[in-house]
Amino acid sequence: MIGALWSNFDYAVSVVLFLIGLYCVIAKNNLIKKFMGLNIMETSVFAFIVAIGVVDRGSAPIMGPGARGPFVNPIPQALILTGIVVAVSTTALALSLIVRVWHQCGTIEADELRELE
Amino acid sequence: MWWQWAHWLPLAVLVPLGFGVTTPAVAGGDGGRAWRWAVLGSALAAATTLALVVRVAREGPFSYAFGGWNPPYGIEFRFDEVGAFAFVVASLGMLAIVFSGRYAEHALDPARIPYFYTLLLLDIAGLIGFSVTGDLFNMYVFMEIISLSSYALVAVSGERTAEMAAFKYLVLGAVSSLLVLFGIGMVYGTTGTLNLADAARRLGGVGSAVPVAVAIALMAAGFMVKSALFPLHVWLPDAHAIAPSPVSAVLSGLVVKVGLLGTFRLYQVVYRTGIVDLAALDQLFLWLGAISIVMGAFFAIFQDDIKMMLAYSTISNIGYIVMGFGLASKFALIGAAVHIFNHAIIKSALFLAAGAIIHQTGYRRLSELRGAGRGMPLTAAALSVGAVSIVGIPPTAGFLCKWYIALGAFEAGRAAFGFALVFGALFIFVYYIRMVNAFYFQEPVHADVVHAGDPPLSMLVPVWVLAGLCLAMGLAGKIPLTFITPAISRLLAPIGG
Repeated sequence: MIGALWSNFDYAVSVVLFLIGLYCVIAKNNLIKKFMGLNIMETSVFAFIVAIGVVDRGSAPIMGPGARGPFVNPIPQALILTGIVVAVSTTALALSLIVRVWHQCGTIEADELRELE
Repeated sequence: MWWQWAHWLPLAVLVPLGFGVTTPAVAGGDGGRAWRWAVLGSALAAATTLALVVRVAREGPFSYAFGGWNPPYGIEFRFDEVGAFAFVVASLGMLAIVFSGRYAEHALDPARIPYFYTLLLLDIAGLIGFSVTGDLFNMYVFMEIISLSSYALVAVSGERTAEMAAFKYLVLGAVSSLLVLFGIGMVYGTTGTLNLADAARRLGGVGSAVPVAVAIALMAAGFMVKSALFPLHVWLPDAHAIAPSPVSAVLSGLVVKVGLLGTFRLYQVVYRTGIVDLAALDQLFLWLGAISIVMGAFFAIFQDDIKMMLAYSTISNIGYIVMGFGLASKFALIGAAVHIFNHAIIKSALFLAAGAIIHQTGYRRLSELRGAGRGMPLTAAALSVGAVSIVGIPPTAGFLCKWYIALGAFEAGRAAFGFALVFGALFIFVYYIRMVNAFYFQEPVHADVVHAGDPPLSMLVPVWVLAGLCLAMGLAGKIPLTFITPAISRLLAPIGG
């Protein structure tokens, strides 16, 4: 069990990070903190997918005169580049929503907002 | 023939996308010009997707390889019978945009109107892309295009609680997207491919079933949040009730179906590999679906706000579809797949009609809307047609699907769930009777409701086109049923067959 965990250390870390993020989303009261939890979750998933493509002692898969294998798998990195763009747009949208909640309600604490409703 | 041109498939996504991003530039601040541009864009998208539907009906499923790179190495768009949802998306999106013309003038800040159409067209582009893609990661990207534009569309109305509802929707939506992405990552990790068809082939040969099972669980959980199945529905009522009515029609009719289509695609990948026993998942869908039917209908009875009521009724109808998936018998799956289409039509008709009534009278509570049937006879009649249809009274669109799902319950030997379904329909009947009663038979409270008059033609025509479709889909119900059957037969075909 421990051995299996140790040899898949990178995957285990991303699962733990995912759960920490989920905990923040559920338990934190401040909307910005909730959203930071979501960012942690995003990062954990990205780390997981990049870790899939890792090759031991692999180099960057850039072809050229000096290129020598083995190379890491470039597809997960390309995917996660897209994923990061999506995450940035989600963050921008969420922060602008939080700003407008602040302007309209004067608070960004979830429990106080619930009372206002 | 004109419908055989290969490039219709990518164009179906590119047309609404291109029209969407150019809307603010073309409009130059003029809401009317933005509206005409958006109507043109969505009409072209509808025409394009119609070509795809004609082709799939004549030739069966077909695919398009981007840049000549053949799958599994290149990116593939694949159009099958279930992907015909793209046509429903484009045509309902067009009607919602036509409806928005007068509605937005009244309900939105004029400076925001061009961006409102941009968001609607992006939403439509994402939905079409999601229904036609044959690639797991593309599925995630289109899902995010849909989600991001939907979050913004909920917030657009400027009502006091709109931002909070949008934020709640955003947090749950983002968590569910991440669950799906985690699952997609695991599928990629175990099979080394992102192509749906290729993944289905390779999953049969992977060494360990555990990561596959975890991936299926993660994706199913993510899609369940997206489709607002009962315990995970908390974001839906607020978001759908607060959004402007044409947006509610798109969100409730089309966007929640993302989760269901995603589940269907997931089934297409894993169903026949036989590596994981899906009986437990079916069981979960069955129970959650049945609970959703009853609870959604139960909450809807106590709502006074007409749009809130329609929002809860969506949860109930999602329950029907998910229960159909869970029964996993041929009739139930056909009924569920057709109900994805029919519910989109019915719920859009209901939300647009409700929106027209709210637009004309300024009231949104049933207790205030008494007598609306006298004030706006045509709109109230359309709303009643939609209501009859969603209850499932023959000969309307809702009856056929529910009948098929009930038949499927008996076919699968789970008669109790067939009764749950009938029970749910009775509940739904109760709250729509309440609505019809308020409109036609109760004494009016506000004089302006009785003197409101029917809305302008640009609103009335979309409402009645949809109401007419509710009837047509019931009367000509054989057409969608026979159209969808090949996809279900392929899904259920014995392994290796």
